[in-house]
Formats: sequence, C-alpha cells, structure tokens
Amino acid sequence: MEILVCVKRVPDTSENEIEINKDGSDIERDDLVYSVNEWDNYAVEEAIQIRDNVGGSVTVVSVGDEDAEEVVRREMAMGADKGILLSDNAFEGSDGRGIANILKAEVEKGKYDLVLTGAQADDGAGQVGGMLAAMLDWPYASLVNSLEVVDDKTIKVGREIAGGNLEMNEIDLPCVLSIQTGINEPRYVGIRGIRKVASIDIPVHGAGDLGITPESVGESGAKVKRIDYFTPELGEGAEILEGSTDEIIEKLIELLKAKGGIK
Amino acid sequence: MAQFIADRRDIEFVLHEQLQVEKLSKHERFAEFNKKTVDMIVNEARNLAVKEILPTQLLGDQEGCKFENGKVTVPESFHRAYEIIKEGEWVAMPESLEWGGQGMPMVVSLAASDYLVGANYAFMMYPGLTQGAGKLIEAFGTDKQKELFLKKMFTGEWTGTMLLTEPEAGSDVGALTTSAVKNSDGTYSISGSKIFISSGEHDLAENIIHPVLARIEGAPAGTKGISLFLVPKIWVNDDGSLGEFNDVVCTGIEEKMGIHGNVTCSISLGGKGECKGTLLGEENKGMRAMFLMMNEARLLVGLQGFTCASTAYMYAVNYARQRLQGKHLLKMRDENAPSVPIIQHPDVRRQLITMKAYVEGMRSLIYYVGMCEDNVKVEKSAKEKEKYQGIIDVLIPIAKGYVTDKAFEVCNHGLQIYGGYGYIKEYPLEQLVRDCRITMIYEGTNGIQAMDLLGRKLGLNKGKPVMDLLGEMQASIAAAREIEDLKELADLVQEAVNKLGEVGLHMGASAMSPDVMKAFAFAYPFMEVTGDIVMAWMLLWRATVAAHKLEKGARKKDAAFYEGQLKSAEFFVHSILPTTMGKCNAILTTNGAAVEIMEDSFGG
Ligand SMILES: Cc1cc2nc3c(=O)[nH]c(=O)nc-3n(C[C@H](O)[C@H](O)[C@H](O)COP(=O)(O)OP(=O)(O)OC[C@H]3O[C@@H](n4cnc5c(N)ncnc54)[C@H](O)[C@@H]3O)c2cc1C
Repeated sequence: MEILVCVKRVPDTSENEIEINKDGSDIERDDLVYSVNEWDNYAVEEAIQIRDNVGGSVTVVSVGDEDAEEVVRREMAMGADKGILLSDNAFEGSDGRGIANILKAEVEKGKYDLVLTGAQADDGAGQVGGMLAAMLDWPYASLVNSLEVVDDKTIKVGREIAGGNLEMNEIDLPCVLSIQTGINEPRYVGIRGIRKVASIDIPVHGAGDLGITPESVGESGAKVKRIDYFTPELGEGAEILEGSTDEIIEKLIELLKAKGGIK
Repeated sequence: MAQFIADRRDIEFVLHEQLQVEKLSKHERFAEFNKKTVDMIVNEARNLAVKEILPTQLLGDQEGCKFENGKVTVPESFHRAYEIIKEGEWVAMPESLEWGGQGMPMVVSLAASDYLVGANYAFMMYPGLTQGAGKLIEAFGTDKQKELFLKKMFTGEWTGTMLLTEPEAGSDVGALTTSAVKNSDGTYSISGSKIFISSGEHDLAENIIHPVLARIEGAPAGTKGISLFLVPKIWVNDDGSLGEFNDVVCTGIEEKMGIHGNVTCSISLGGKGECKGTLLGEENKGMRAMFLMMNEARLLVGLQGFTCASTAYMYAVNYARQRLQGKHLLKMRDENAPSVPIIQHPDVRRQLITMKAYVEGMRSLIYYVGMCEDNVKVEKSAKEKEKYQGIIDVLIPIAKGYVTDKAFEVCNHGLQIYGGYGYIKEYPLEQLVRDCRITMIYEGTNGIQAMDLLGRKLGLNKGKPVMDLLGEMQASIAAAREIEDLKELADLVQEAVNKLGEVGLHMGASAMSPDVMKAFAFAYPFMEVTGDIVMAWMLLWRATVAAHKLEKGARKKDAAFYEGQLKSAEFFVHSILPTTMGKCNAILTTNGAAVEIMEDSFGG
C-alpha cells in the first residue's frame, strides 16, 4: 500500500511558554522550540505498521519553510521511506484551504492509496484533512482510532463518537483519514534510524513543481484571515486549585461535596 | 520551562557555540555526525528522557529494589524504560559499530546522557555499567570473548557490572582476597565474596556478565597480583547458547540513602565451589586494565553527580519564580506592599547564581573532557594525541572529585531555596540531595581523587600534561582579553592561573620532601582550587563566546541567555575566585596541624 502522511512542524508546548506578540496578531515565534505535531506521530506510526504488515511504502510530506525539513527527517528516522518538503515563498500565510490545495497537488503527483493526517495540530483548526479529501473527491473519515486493512480496495476504520461510543466504517481506497491520538503507541526514534537518514537529501517542491498558481495560495489566496489573537480574560467564579495532586483532589472533593455535586 | 532535567539552550550552547563539535565531522571517523544529526540525536534523547525515563525517577525511589529468595526485582516501571533504551540502541553510544555500539563522538553521547542520566541516573546505571563492562571486553578480550559477550552487552540484551569491592578491600583494591585457580580446560574457578555491587542481580535481563577482580593462587600480594576475570551469571557455551547457572549468588541487598532504584548487592562467588570464569587480558595485569578504563568510568560518575545539580538548578529557579514570600527589600516599610516571588530577594539570587555558575562550568568541563577523548581518536599526530590524553588524565580527578563535591553543594542550595518544602519528600529536592551523595564516594572516593591528582597526575610525564592544560587556559584568557568588557575578568583569571602554577610547583616539591604527610593533608584543598580555576576558565571561555554573539546582535531570549553567561563569569570571578586565592595561600603555607596532632588529642 502506498501511503502519504502529512505532518506539521509546530511549537512544542512542552518546551515553551507560549506568549502572544505585541500587536496581538500571533504568538511570539522568535525563540520557540519546535517539534512534530503530536497527532502526526500517531499517523506516521500507523502508516509504518500498515506497511510492515501488507507491504508498500510510507512517504511523509510537510508544507512549511526550510526548517520544516527537520520534522520530515525525524519522521523518516522513525521509519518512513521517503520524505518531501513543500516549500515556496508563495505558500507563506496560507489558510487551511491553501494548505489543502498545496497537499492536493502533491498527492496528485503520486499514486497513493491512503493519505493520513493528524486529527488536528496544536496550533491548527483540524480542517486540512477534510478539505484535502473534498478537493481530491476522495472518501474521508475523521478522528480515526482504529484501522484495519481488508484488501487492496477497502479498509475498515473505527471512529470516536461523542459520549465514548465507537463507530466502524468500511471505506473504499483511495481515501483520506485523520488520525486520533491513542490509535497506537508511536515508537521512539532510535540512533540507528537517525543515522540512516542523516545524509539523505529531502526533495523540495515549490509552486512551479506542483503546478500551483502562486496567487491561489499563501496570503493572497487566503480567504480566512486572523484578525485578533489573545488570551481570554478569566471569568468570574472560576477557581484554580493549587497544590500537589493529592491536595488538589482533596480540595476538589470538598468543593463537590459543599456544592452538592456529590453526597 | 516544562521539563526539569537540563537547560536545552545551555546544552546547545556548549555543543555548538563553545566546543563547536561539528568540527569532529571533518574527520572520517565521525563524518556522519554533522550538526543536523547531532541535533536529532540530542533531541530524541531529550524526548525519550522526558517522556519515558523522568516518570520512573520518583517511582524508582519510592518502590526501590526487592530481594526475595535470592532474586532481585527492580522497580516495575524500569522494565518498560529499559526496553525502550534497548530498542533505541542508547546503551553503547560511543562504542564501535562492529560490536553493536553507535560509533558516536563521546561529547555527543555525553550531551544525550545529560538528559537520559539526568532523568533517572539510578535507572541509567543498568545500561551504563553494561557499557563499561563491555568496554573492558572490547579492550582486553580474546576474539572468542568478544564474540560471545560483546554484542549482547552493547545491545543491552545482557547487562554488565564491576566486581571490585570486598569488605576489607574498598579504597585499597589491592587488599582483595577473592581467589582464582586455573582449571585444566583453561577456565578458572573463582571463590570469594564481593559487596556493594551495583546492578549485581536483577530481573531486567536474561544474563549478567560480571568482570571480577581476583588473585590467582600464588600471585604476588597487593595490586601487582590482581587479575581480571569474566564471570557470567549463567555460563555461556562456546556456541553462544546459555548453559548452567554459574554459582554466582546474590546474598543480600543494601538499604541505602539514595539511588533506591539501582540495586546494591552482596555477591558470593563459588559458594558451592562451582563458579567459573575466563581470564580477561593477562594474568596479574588486572589493575592495569582497570586503570585504562577508569577515566571513562570516573567521567560518568562526574556526569551522574552533575545531572543531579543541573536538575536541582532547574527546579530551584522555577520554584523561586513562583513562590511568593516576603516583600521586596526596598518596600519593607510599606504595609501594603505585595509579597514578591522569592527570586527577587538578594540572598535567593546569590544562591541561584552560585548554582547557575557551577552548573554551567561543570557542563562545559565534562563535555570538554569528552571532546578531548574524541580528539585523541581523530588527531593524526602522536604528539597531539598525547597532548589531549594528558589533559584528560589531569582533568579526570576534577571531573569526578571536584564536580561531584560541587554538585552536592548545588543540590543543597536548591533544597535551601525550597525552604521547608525542600525537606519534604513530596518535593523533588529531597531525593536529588540523597541521590547525589553517593557520587562523592564510589568509583574512588573524592579523597582518593585528590590523592590521584597530587600523587600521580601532577608529576605525570614530568609535568607536561599540567603545562598543556595551563596552556589551554592561557589561550582562552588571551581570547577574552581581545574583548574590552572582559579584560578585567581575564586579568583576574590570569592571576589565578599564575597562582595555580605556583601552588602546583609547591605541592609537587612538598610531596617529594620530608613534608609529604603535610602535603597530602592539602591534597583535597589542592583539588578544590584546581577545580575552581578550571571553572573560572570555562566560564570565561563561555563569556567570550557570548560577548561575540551579543556584538553581532542576538534575538530576545538568546540575548538574555548570553547576558547570563557574562554574569556567571562575572559572579564567579569576583565572588568565588577571591576565596580560591585565599585557599591557595593556605596551601602555600602548608600548616602541619592536621598531621601533627596526636591521635589521642582528637578526643572522642
Ligand atoms: C551504592 C554503592 C554502590 C557501589 N557500587 C560498586 C560497584 O558496582 N562495584 C564495586 O566494586 N564497588 C562498588 N561500591 C564500593 C565503593 O566503590 C567503595 O565503597 C568505595 O571505593 C570506598 O571504599 P570503602 O567503602 O571500603 O571505604 P574506605 O576505603 O574504608 O574509606 C573510608 C574513608 O577513608 C578514606 N581513605 C581510605 N583509604 C585512604 C587512603 N589511602 N588515603 C586517604 N584516605 C583514605 C576514604 O576516602 C574514605 O573517606 C559501591 C558503593 C556504594 C555505597
């Protein structure tokens, strides 16, 4: 099975104190530590497991600036066979539709049976997977938390539904799936993997290579524009419990008792 | 700051800006290790350390190891962590590819270990000792021994230990009595009792390979009669299959102050007369083999202590930013002034900057020694190789003895900054202080390290290694002098280096004179002042790099980091180095009270 996994380089929330910049248009990006979007690791792990079971290959692709190369390389060290970076000045400032557009062009250059994305990104809107599927006119399933290859034409996927229920679907290939965390346990990158990919050249495709008119993507093509970015004021009545975990639990129980939540 | 092991920016600074490890990739041996690869390795080590190993630190301390019916179980959480370390091939990073190592520069493996060891060093002792034991086999083993053991060890499938200590043979390994008798098939029957054996018995691996120091029957007394043997817990047949249990019995484990997750075993060898081993290296050359391996083992103990300090600093600085207590000193009289975070109090800042300066200086020193190890490997000329080897030899007692002493002090400051909470088990400093303490004792007590510096290293090769080290310091001072703002600091460090030269000459002469007892009473202070001056050198070197970066213009957080480097150097040179100069004067006086006092006069 030929699988393409779309991955994104995002600020690492476990490493940074995220601050909002002065003019309130974005976060302060100057000194951030970046890593692979958490959800994407699950998607890559799933792809590697499918490949190991039924054969084929895994390609990772990222839309981003030249620094995004490091996340592509990292996912290759994890076990993906190929990596592609989609990078062009014209891509900067793309909205979700723009990103999906760029990815669509890359998907059409290859012969993929399956395209995976993360269910969402730390700093995203969870929209790229769905849009990409629509643009390709491929079937789509979101929030996938189990996946089973039936044959080379169909797969079976489980989806998380509100209220803790699960739904099973059969889907025709090719299709796009957005992957939920918990579907597997992403492997760690070992030294052998790192050494394997250390000196591999990762191809970069720009607007020209993909046959994309620059105006249709990037800032000029974006129809969703961010107009403000801020931390909401704390509302009245909210209380943040402090102390050790045990203390917090104790206080919480007390509060619940006091307010009639538990008896 | 969300992970509490090591300052990521500082690790990057030492690797890329201070030591420029990428230079190593110009040599064929390390060609693979370009900046991208180095960064990826260190990042993945961090990732693994934070997500998988750090959570085992507290669990390992609380649960400890259990001894039941001759079997030892390690804390439950260690099993998964060990599998992941094995899978990722983190066991033998700097060892040769041929035998399952990763051929990594030592300095890079130290940076990765900064996170891994920092996340839980009691746990990391299992793979760490395995690597060390494997290294002995690689250096001294026959082809057959390597074939049977090495790959299994460097890949972590089997683990390793080091069996030196006996009840009557601690610091003086030469006093050991474990004996070996040669059998007709070329193996040796071993019998004796060893104590305090780290990772001596556990349930993490199928087999445990013990390098054992023992005396062959009839061999000379003392260190000249000691040989090294390989004694597997389960015998390994010639075809590599596992044979019978080898009469290596764990008879008990210790209850300890710290590192509860790493088991400390009493081991009886040949209690039933059925313990066999094979000779590793030559008969009666066991101590020589140990000496060759000692540098690296001591550097790793230095790293263990250091990572406790690094972690303690991370916790303390974070706590000091959050803990509100007391008014700002300048608003003491204002009844309505709010409480401020304790990081605003001068006395707390004094402790924090003390911790910061030591942690930074120690990190640079440890990585620098690692880089010297790499230079020994890649330098072409015998002269250069010898130079770096000499510098390593002189710096090892500092990197072990001085570093672990100061690391403990740093942990202690950290605990103090937490106030009462520091003394409470629910907060992390209490464990760090306990865990750190043993690093001052094992792998040669720090007293023994000081004697090594004075007795062996100072006069090594007619003093050339010491001169080479002073030469390196001079070069850094000269570079600092080029920068207007650092001139004063550079001059003060120069004065201290000159003083160290004077103290070194004096100590060398005293140790060879009738005053030898007095001289050795000052071995420890001599190690301490040498260490202080090495710290001053490293901090000045860092400040020089930082000043250049600031001159070129740095981004916001980077600028704060570089300014912090200038302040560490300034603090150390102005607030700590003067006491070092005083200690140097005390050494030069070499007062004899400590050795002249009558034993009875100690009272007690
Ligand atoms: C937790 C733990 C783990 C250990 N792991 C191992 C292991 O894996 N393998 C192993 O073989 N050993 C191990 N050891 C043993 C350790 O290396 C020894 O405890 C250490 O070398 C000191 O020996 P000792 O305890 O007999 O102290 P002693 O040698 O009795 O020393 C007592 C004091 O006297 C001083 N002293 C002794 N001789 C001299 C001298 N000639 N000149 C000046 N001062 C001197 C020492 O500095 C020390 O302060 C471990 C110990 C512990 C506690």
